[in-house]
Amino acid sequence: MTQQSKSDPVIALRGIHKSYDDLMVLRGVDIRAHEGDVISLIGSSGSGKSTLLRCINMLEICQQGDIQFCGEAVRWSGDGPGRMPADQAQVVRMRTQLSMVFQSFNLWAHMTVLKNVIEAPVTVLKRERGEAIDEAMALLEKVGIADKAHIYPAQLSGGQQQRAAIARALAMRPKAMLFDEPTSALDPELEQEVVKVIRQLAGEGRTMILVTHDMKLARDVSNHVVFLNQGVIEEEGSPETVFGNPKTERLQKFLHASVAA
Amino acid sequence: MGVSCADPSLLEGLAWLSCYLMTGKHMAFYLSFLTVLILLAITAPVAIIFGLLGAVGSRARLLPVRLLGRGYISVVRGVPDIVFFLFVPIALDQGFEYLRHRIMCPEVLEPVRQGNDFVVCTIAKLPLNSDPQWLHEIYGFALAVLSFAIVFGAFAGNTFRGAFEAVPRNQLETAEAYGMSRLQVFWRVLLPQMWIYALPGLSNLWMILIKVTPLLFLLGVEDIVYWARELGSAKTSAFSFPHPDWRLWYFLVLLLFYLGLTKISEIVFARLMARYNMGQATLGGSRQLGQVGR
Repeated sequence: MTQQSKSDPVIALRGIHKSYDDLMVLRGVDIRAHEGDVISLIGSSGSGKSTLLRCINMLEICQQGDIQFCGEAVRWSGDGPGRMPADQAQVVRMRTQLSMVFQSFNLWAHMTVLKNVIEAPVTVLKRERGEAIDEAMALLEKVGIADKAHIYPAQLSGGQQQRAAIARALAMRPKAMLFDEPTSALDPELEQEVVKVIRQLAGEGRTMILVTHDMKLARDVSNHVVFLNQGVIEEEGSPETVFGNPKTERLQKFLHASVAA
Repeated sequence: MGVSCADPSLLEGLAWLSCYLMTGKHMAFYLSFLTVLILLAITAPVAIIFGLLGAVGSRARLLPVRLLGRGYISVVRGVPDIVFFLFVPIALDQGFEYLRHRIMCPEVLEPVRQGNDFVVCTIAKLPLNSDPQWLHEIYGFALAVLSFAIVFGAFAGNTFRGAFEAVPRNQLETAEAYGMSRLQVFWRVLLPQMWIYALPGLSNLWMILIKVTPLLFLLGVEDIVYWARELGSAKTSAFSFPHPDWRLWYFLVLLLFYLGLTKISEIVFARLMARYNMGQATLGGSRQLGQVGR
């Protein structure tokens, strides 16, 4: 195991390939996220951006390529389509430091909001319950739904559910956060309350990778934008250059279509 | 009461009736209601455990475990219940005795099957011939409970298997993404969320279980139906309490007993449903919040 040094990126992906049967979804993607980076992944549906995000915390297993987390490389067993992580304890350790926020919120339906937030800290990280509750209440306060702590997710609006899901993600005290289209399932007015929270987190210097259809969000919060097309990085750079001065024709077309939509 | 029941022929009206209802056989009749309730109270949880094991087994990654779970559920479901109720106690009884015979009497070399007879050495008998009568009855009752649990466990297993599959994939995936092990995902998310899908099926099974308890008499347990028939039939003057055919009344009591039992069950299941529906994004859950019109 390599010692983490200051220069190690929090997340480093190299040559990620992923296919489902004959369908190649990712064809060699490299991404490096240093501490405090907010990276937006944009691209049309089917470009592989969500798959890429899910490969990072190993909800999907990529068949080729390296994943490094804070300088520690994922150990694999097997090769090609049969490749699996070799060390389940390592997978769990990495997942607990990489909180994910999902498009459809995915709050656990049988638990109240508060229980959702303390669940993984208590059962996975073995934190003391009372402490976890205090921290959870502070986080719910931060995302503006402390008054909903004892309510079940189905009783909340989409925006409130997503903010609860963000509080759940923060409760892990993660080294990095993965957002999988966090605002796509929301009405425009509910979207704004979630965008506000994400913007606030970006402002705090959290390391985040964000898959989004919302170009305004990508432009506002990220310091690096990656445009994926058919499983490869077509173009990347600062939001100013990607949005202000797109070089490839595909990105120009994509941005044009996004604005029109 | 001060009334002596010693000579019933001298009694009349209520005094006669109260003495009649206090005979030893009537006590056995009352006790048999308890037998039915105990059977239900033990069978239900054991069947749920069998069902969970069957359902978990049938979804296991290990092929032999999967085959075992699937085999249990489909074989037992595919055989008429009554055949099974008759078969299992005998099979279990002979199975236990055979094992004890092999362990405790290794010197006996004759085959256990001699023609149509099943012969084990005396000390391998279950229960021992010298054991008191109540032990024999409890043993018989335990075999009956086990057969009920095996049959109903298979049906419950099928219900659970469907319920496990009905839990949304993203609920489990999220638990994985937050670092839960497979076991934690099962205990913390899959199992608690499964109940809401299993409850309607389980409530059906429970009702059926209540209604097949009279099959106990098939297994040699003297249950309420046995006693109602026995006590209700016409008694000639050779008996201390002669009376005409009263079976209608006795069976009416049974009817009311079963109706009461199923009514209470309905209420309990309605409450359980309400509890598990709490806050769920289901029609039932929304109705509780008044979010759905009638």
